[in-house]
Amino acid sequence: MKHAQTYQLTVNEMNEFLEQLSKKYDIYAPVRISCGGRYAKDDSIIYQPINTYQEIEFHERSTYPLKEVLTPITQTLFYFTEDEFKESKSPQKDVLIFGRACDINSIKIQDQIYLQNGGIEDYFYKRIRDKIKFILMDCPEQFEGCFCCSVGANKTDMQSLAVSDNNGSAYVGIYDSDFNNYFAKYSAVDHEIQTPLENELKVDYPVIDNLDLANKLKEHPMWKEFDARCIGCGSCTVSCSTCTCFETTDIVYTQNAHIGERRRTCSSCMVDGFDKVAGGQSFRKKTSEKYRYKILHKVYGYNARFHTGPMCVGCGRCSARCPELISYPATLNKLSQAIKEIKGGVQHD
Amino acid sequence: MVEDCNIKKLRNNCFRQSKVPGEFMLQLRVPGALIDAKWLDVIKHVCQTWGDGTFHLGMRQTLNAPRIKAKDIPAVNEYIQPYLQAVECDMCDVKMQTKDGYPYIAPRNIMACIGGIHCIKGNVYTQRLAQKLEKLIYPNPYHIKISVSGCPNDCGKGHFQDFGIIGCTKPIYTIDRCIGCGACVRKCESAATRVLSLNDKNKVEKDPCCCVGCGECVTACPTGAWRRPAKDFYKIILGGRTGKQYPRMGKMFANWLTEESVLSIMKNWPKFSEWVLGGKPIYIHGGHLIDRAGYQRFKDFMLDGVNLNPEAMIAENINWAETEYRSNIHVKPLDKHLSVK
Repeated sequence: MKHAQTYQLTVNEMNEFLEQLSKKYDIYAPVRISCGGRYAKDDSIIYQPINTYQEIEFHERSTYPLKEVLTPITQTLFYFTEDEFKESKSPQKDVLIFGRACDINSIKIQDQIYLQNGGIEDYFYKRIRDKIKFILMDCPEQFEGCFCCSVGANKTDMQSLAVSDNNGSAYVGIYDSDFNNYFAKYSAVDHEIQTPLENELKVDYPVIDNLDLANKLKEHPMWKEFDARCIGCGSCTVSCSTCTCFETTDIVYTQNAHIGERRRTCSSCMVDGFDKVAGGQSFRKKTSEKYRYKILHKVYGYNARFHTGPMCVGCGRCSARCPELISYPATLNKLSQAIKEIKGGVQHD
Repeated sequence: MVEDCNIKKLRNNCFRQSKVPGEFMLQLRVPGALIDAKWLDVIKHVCQTWGDGTFHLGMRQTLNAPRIKAKDIPAVNEYIQPYLQAVECDMCDVKMQTKDGYPYIAPRNIMACIGGIHCIKGNVYTQRLAQKLEKLIYPNPYHIKISVSGCPNDCGKGHFQDFGIIGCTKPIYTIDRCIGCGACVRKCESAATRVLSLNDKNKVEKDPCCCVGCGECVTACPTGAWRRPAKDFYKIILGGRTGKQYPRMGKMFANWLTEESVLSIMKNWPKFSEWVLGGKPIYIHGGHLIDRAGYQRFKDFMLDGVNLNPEAMIAENINWAETEYRSNIHVKPLDKHLSVK
């Protein structure tokens, strides 16, 4: 991480700072939603607009990913009448997002899919993406199942600011000169904000370097167990920092089919109907096939197109959210084993 | 010579008569069925010191020590005093003397499933409510059987209690978080009351009237579009029972009660019992008191002074369906009728 000027601010000073920022920026951060979790009395943590420092959840991994700020689960693209359309409101202010190193790195992957895939830039993604700056949150406490270091997502230089919560005060590092003037009245302190150097969980991320190997892996028996274990709910892809799939639907207003809106809605390769094509045909009928498709896309398909490594930042949300306790790292280990078998010439029926 | 024992007095002390003259079984109450595991040493010691070394897991979640000799009961009561103090007085805030053991057996142990502290289906913390109810019904000479279940699966068998209290939720739907996957719709269809459907805009419609409040939609949702509000709700299933004459399954007395409403209603039980029995407690099961008074009088008593929450619904009438071991068992001479005169 490049060296930054760092300041120490009290909570009140942070709130004053956020208030000043809010004139120019909409500020998003992970926020705790009381009782928002899957089970009784469990909370959830979701990216939402904030006004004050105390709203930010520093001490637990957010349930849902940062990508929701850029691509909300339901988003209206435009409204149409018979021969006209009106674009949905684009962000008025610039956008500041609090995120951890993995979260910020995930946006590099989102960028590739939305801006560099097939030579087309997604207009609705770009109109918010161009306005975004990041505030890096450090990770003094890591969470169960974090493995950012195994996929190189523990470091970032995309941040404009970095914030480290320090029990009643905050360290703020400045990486973007646009923010210098906010700190004129403070004197710098000698403190460097760190991102994780090592995780407890180490994943030997599998490498699939050719299509022949990918095709052989498709036939490998390792996927069979997931027919019985995976319920195809899509919790993993919704909570995934890097998954990008959506569906586009025209919603026509009652009584007049010529007036309505075009929406896109987050989708998941794990749920029924995702791969249904005109004529009603589906290509991945068994849950194990859906799961295999998802994993191979993360490990192979994405990298085959962009050559930038795995479609994963090691945030651990997919495993944390799986109601059937399927561990993604455990699947990766099985995949590594299968690759070894195939390369070593082991045959399966 | 058979030892002279006042079995009714000992029963009230929570020692149940054995078929072996002079022997009794201690029943330790465990309101809400969750206690510090250290207390297992207490019941173990009682079983091994004064019983025959066996331990019985009570049908109503009591900890039972069989085969205790009458002469040893004072020693047992002295030994269990710290347990009574900790569980009844400290945990449930019950006001009672603990030096001579339990004062009453009539209000039976309040059962509870493990509920929301552990169970993936649970909506509420069952123990917490059970402990608050214990304070309302104990110590007291009037019989009552209560269970608390964390969800409408009703593992606490509330349908066979006088009062089966069932934890529910009124899930909140955030339409913009819904991806239209239909997981909640399928789950409601397979596990609950089929009140959800996907509309032509691929969002969920709900028939709130028939929702059983189980929260399965929340558990099934991959996006958090469904969530449980912080406010817990309860239904009360009334008048279920087992027995030799008129076993029957309970019927819904109240729905969508808050905890405050539940406690406020249950607080009226001793008053109602006292009225039905003319202030003379006898050994008669609570459900029969409702039969004697009739549902309408029962309802008036139980709702007296209660400020129901706005969502609350109360049964206008209840028609129980009894299993009659003898056909037309309810048809009998007028002077045998037990209604309150």
